[in-house]
Amino acid sequence: MKTDATTILIVGVDTGGTFTDVVYRDGRRRGRYKVLSTPDDPARAVIAALRDLFGSRAPSHLSYGTTVATNAMIERRGARTVLIATAGFEDLIEIGRQARTGLYELEPCKTEPLVAKRHRLGARERILHDGSVELALGRQDVKRLTTRVKQTGAQSVAVCLLHCSANPTHEKLLGAALAGLGIPFTLSHQLSPQSGEYERCATTVANAYVRPKLATHIDTLGTESKAHEFRVMQSNGGIISAELAAKEPVRTMLSGPAGGVAAAFRCAQAAGYHRVITVDMGGTSTDVALIDTSIPRRECSEVARLVLRVPCIDIHTVGAGGGSIAFVDEGGSLKVGPQSAGADPGPACYGRGTEATVTDANLVLGRIIESNFLGGHMRVDTARARQVLSALARRMGSKDAEQAAEGIVRVVEGNMERAVRLITVERGKDPRSATILAFGGAAGLHTCGLAEQLGVERVLLPPDPGLFSALGVADGSLLRDQTLAVRLIDPSYEQLRTLAREAATATERSLEDAGVSRTKIKTTSFVRMRYLGQSIELEVPLNRGFRRSFEAEHSRLYHYSSPQRPVEVSSLRVSSTAAAAAPVSRRRASKRAVDQSLPAARTAGSVSVFLQGRRQKLPLYERDSLKPGQTLHGPAIVVEYSSTLLLRNSWTLMVDAGNNLVAERKTAGKTAGANKKARRSGDG
Amino acid sequence: MNSPRKLDPVDLELFNNRLSAVAEEMGVVLQRAAFSPNIKDRRDFSCALFDAGGNLTAHAAHIPVHLGSTPLSLHAALQSCEMKPGDVIMLNDPYAGGTHLPDITLLCPVFRPGATRPYAYLADRAHHADVGGSSPGSMALASEIFEEGLRIPPVHLCRNRNYVKDTLSLFLANTRVSEERRGDLDAQVAALRAGEARVLELANRFGPAKLSLAMSELQSYSQRLLTAMLKRIPEGRYCAQDSLDDDGSGRGPIAIRVCVTRRKGRLVVDFAGSDTQGKGPLNANLAVTTSAVFYVVACLAGRDIPANAGMMKAVEIRAPEGSIVNCRFPAAVAGGNVETSQRIVDVLLRALASALPGLIPAASCGTMSNMALGGYDPQRKRFYSYYETVGGGAGAGPRKRGADAVQTHMTNTLNTPIETLESYYPLKVRRYRVRRGSGGKGLHRGGDGIERCIEATAPARLTLLAERHERGPYGLAGGACGKPGRAILERNGRKRRLPSKLAMNLHPGDSVTILSPGGGGWGTKDE
Repeated sequence: MKTDATTILIVGVDTGGTFTDVVYRDGRRRGRYKVLSTPDDPARAVIAALRDLFGSRAPSHLSYGTTVATNAMIERRGARTVLIATAGFEDLIEIGRQARTGLYELEPCKTEPLVAKRHRLGARERILHDGSVELALGRQDVKRLTTRVKQTGAQSVAVCLLHCSANPTHEKLLGAALAGLGIPFTLSHQLSPQSGEYERCATTVANAYVRPKLATHIDTLGTESKAHEFRVMQSNGGIISAELAAKEPVRTMLSGPAGGVAAAFRCAQAAGYHRVITVDMGGTSTDVALIDTSIPRRECSEVARLVLRVPCIDIHTVGAGGGSIAFVDEGGSLKVGPQSAGADPGPACYGRGTEATVTDANLVLGRIIESNFLGGHMRVDTARARQVLSALARRMGSKDAEQAAEGIVRVVEGNMERAVRLITVERGKDPRSATILAFGGAAGLHTCGLAEQLGVERVLLPPDPGLFSALGVADGSLLRDQTLAVRLIDPSYEQLRTLAREAATATERSLEDAGVSRTKIKTTSFVRMRYLGQSIELEVPLNRGFRRSFEAEHSRLYHYSSPQRPVEVSSLRVSSTAAAAAPVSRRRASKRAVDQSLPAARTAGSVSVFLQGRRQKLPLYERDSLKPGQTLHGPAIVVEYSSTLLLRNSWTLMVDAGNNLVAERKTAGKTAGANKKARRSGDG
Repeated sequence: MNSPRKLDPVDLELFNNRLSAVAEEMGVVLQRAAFSPNIKDRRDFSCALFDAGGNLTAHAAHIPVHLGSTPLSLHAALQSCEMKPGDVIMLNDPYAGGTHLPDITLLCPVFRPGATRPYAYLADRAHHADVGGSSPGSMALASEIFEEGLRIPPVHLCRNRNYVKDTLSLFLANTRVSEERRGDLDAQVAALRAGEARVLELANRFGPAKLSLAMSELQSYSQRLLTAMLKRIPEGRYCAQDSLDDDGSGRGPIAIRVCVTRRKGRLVVDFAGSDTQGKGPLNANLAVTTSAVFYVVACLAGRDIPANAGMMKAVEIRAPEGSIVNCRFPAAVAGGNVETSQRIVDVLLRALASALPGLIPAASCGTMSNMALGGYDPQRKRFYSYYETVGGGAGAGPRKRGADAVQTHMTNTLNTPIETLESYYPLKVRRYRVRRGSGGKGLHRGGDGIERCIEATAPARLTLLAERHERGPYGLAGGACGKPGRAILERNGRKRRLPSKLAMNLHPGDSVTILSPGGGGWGTKDE
């Protein structure tokens, strides 16, 4: 490959799954690449891919989505970690919130903390809620603690003291002493400064636990790739410098799904849709998120049943995937998932599984085209799928395998519907005005059905749905979030603005350190507040009208507001961001005019599909042959590598200028009404 | 009454999903909009949907103690109130559909447009931090219900979508923290409204007749699941006994006896022979006893059976009137809900252990170690009321050791974060740690309890309501008992043991330590 070594070379890598996905932009040329992941050392696959693609050239920008920290936590292969907590509270990390995970279990479980009892040290100190020092941390005690840390052979240290956000002096004292030991340490007031000692402590401990592992990994990759700018995807959908990621690895825990939603956000924006439900359906589960003009965030997430309190994208996961197993329970109800046949044994049609899965159902219904499965690279056994479905049909009292298969599809779409309702209706938002953006291998088969259940009328399928995470990583905006714990009753806007400005200097500086010029940085601030005495908070943008926004949001969510009540502001979130300089994904405005004079889309034949209770001959289209501007009408099947779209009756598909497939449902007018009725009776 | 099945397995699943979502979505609204830490942080609430006949159809609860008691609330409301569109009924009277006084239940009918009869009913119940009475937190060591707080029979809280001002002001005048009460009621009403919108939307989408059918089908489904589960218990009669330390007035121990009979598809749970109701507040009404029985049934099922009237049909509960498990007016009941309910679970599990020895664990801590502190906060210049339960050790089972420091059986409320507690109340937490070595020994060790020490920084009224201070939770299959609980007062540098149930005044600087019991052990080591 002969290219000028100074040409800008931007690379995005996602190592989340079975494959390591690489997308890049080399000058004006764009490309993509897939290699098998190397789970024992993920860096190997990445370095190999970079060598294959670019030889010895160093990327100018390398953006990276990784599960190294996540896996270390799930597999419990993190560092030997010592926790220093306020004396008398060393067990906080173990007691947690006192709750058990299942309500009705004869032998209840609690998740073991990441730090063993013998590695928890008590600091003799006490700070009160107003920041006053009741018991000062003495030099003697600091010395005792650092000696103990050394004795335990700690590889990483977490420090979490009570009320440290009100007064971080003691944590800083310990930090200064620990710095002398050369062991990496994490101070809780810096990582997760909000009040609520358990969540802060758990987050700090998790960070310390995975930190050495991610730091080594990042270091290896940085050195071997020789990338000029090396950045890492975070759970909040933005990227940060690799250096910062190595220090605060908890921020990267959910980077894979976050990359997908970040890419969806940009895709939706370019296509001109502002309210989008993302549906990412894979083999074992479906991730859904609601983008309502911005990427939704939340404060806490869970990894390996342990809580993490750092901002992340508000993604909800439900156990509904291609491999989800269907069975009839003792009460005669058809259940689908959450158990999954996974990759091994896999669905029955892969040749070894013995239970009916969603994939088997789609195959028997003719919605998965045998010869096209994974681009034709994988053989599937339709007879075997039919066999397990016939057995299931007998247990269901259904007339044949097809009827049972349709039942499975309806139930799995019902489970997805429930998941979407959770992130829309339960958050006070109406899904009907949104567009569904579907990606991931299995989503296209269910997206029209799901849309109909939700009353959604538009569905968008982006190009390259299988590389969505990698694209999101490559084009991610730099984003640095900082939460500032405050506790103010009825504060003025000016008061909050001053605080937010102070915090913004830090977030902006960290982006400048990552090589962004100050003029490109945009900073926004948010207020987390509640009525005094309430405990769940709402977040609204910080501006002059923040109090009014709060009342409006409260009333929308809970059907009432009380403007005369005092409000309490518990924290400020300052978020600085800078867009990627040269995106890898093509960002053509999708709303641009398209050539209307193109001939109608050409079919690549027809397939026999079982749809709405009967077998029908549907036209088959290949996505690669569809051109912007072309339209086609459902029912139809559109296939591409590793993904299939089932376009149901009364849906019309158009290819927009950005090469997205945009399907819309006709609901206005009499025809649509008749269709609706037909469908309803079909349901019954 | 086994009606023929009219929904296919697919529709059954879809409607199960949709109908449970109604109750769950109500819960989301209630939790988010509520003001009491009890509701928001500790999740002490539940929501329910009933069909037109008033049969419980779907129920969402985060704590099992509400499980069997909501149908009695609707029954009481229907008996004494006429419900028109837009009405909300409020009640807490343990002798008319309630559990204990802090649990306030709101109910409303759902009318389809133009209809004259309700299409469905909804209810939500939440534990309010204070409803008056002689002690902050309304968990007094009372001998009559009148001392425990304001008793609310079924009355109209709203008519035609507006608050009935008289009811509201009467109620708010009788609680120590009226602002917070008002906020919680608003949240409870909002949850009912959300549920109403959801039911009407489903009725429109699928047709009212089909939705009604689905509601009754869901009940038959639960009944079938329960019958299938009951078959795993060998036919026979299994009896056991356990006791409460005392009734809170000095009388004790108080025995609870049970005989569980499994015959065909039915389970009869008979508490004959249990001691008579006590003078203290440890009396359980039938609602609480029913909840405890259904909690055990749900545990045996090993997974969630939709909690509804169908599930309850296969189980018959006999509790002698005037006994500790079915008390008569005007007995005090605050502790029946939180303490006696735990003991009822213990005795039921002990009885079932002889039927299912490979399944049943030893006793868990058996108490919620309730602690209420309240009074005037001179620094913040307001009255306050703080209430909390402390977890303990879980009983060891045939498969593994008991979990440490966890909420067991009838409760699963979260703790109040120390940083929140200290910011809102004149209190300081001195220690909060695992009470090592308190779990009973055995092949599998019982879980350890908790040590929690709180200091008052201003004069405060303390109420303790705890159990298992005399005898530790029992072990099984040769395992030892867990260590009994303890309460210790530290005043002017001197420590003294406190009774498990007491009310007293604390001086600034006094501290109270709760040491909650460990779980019982299971099996012997040299086996």
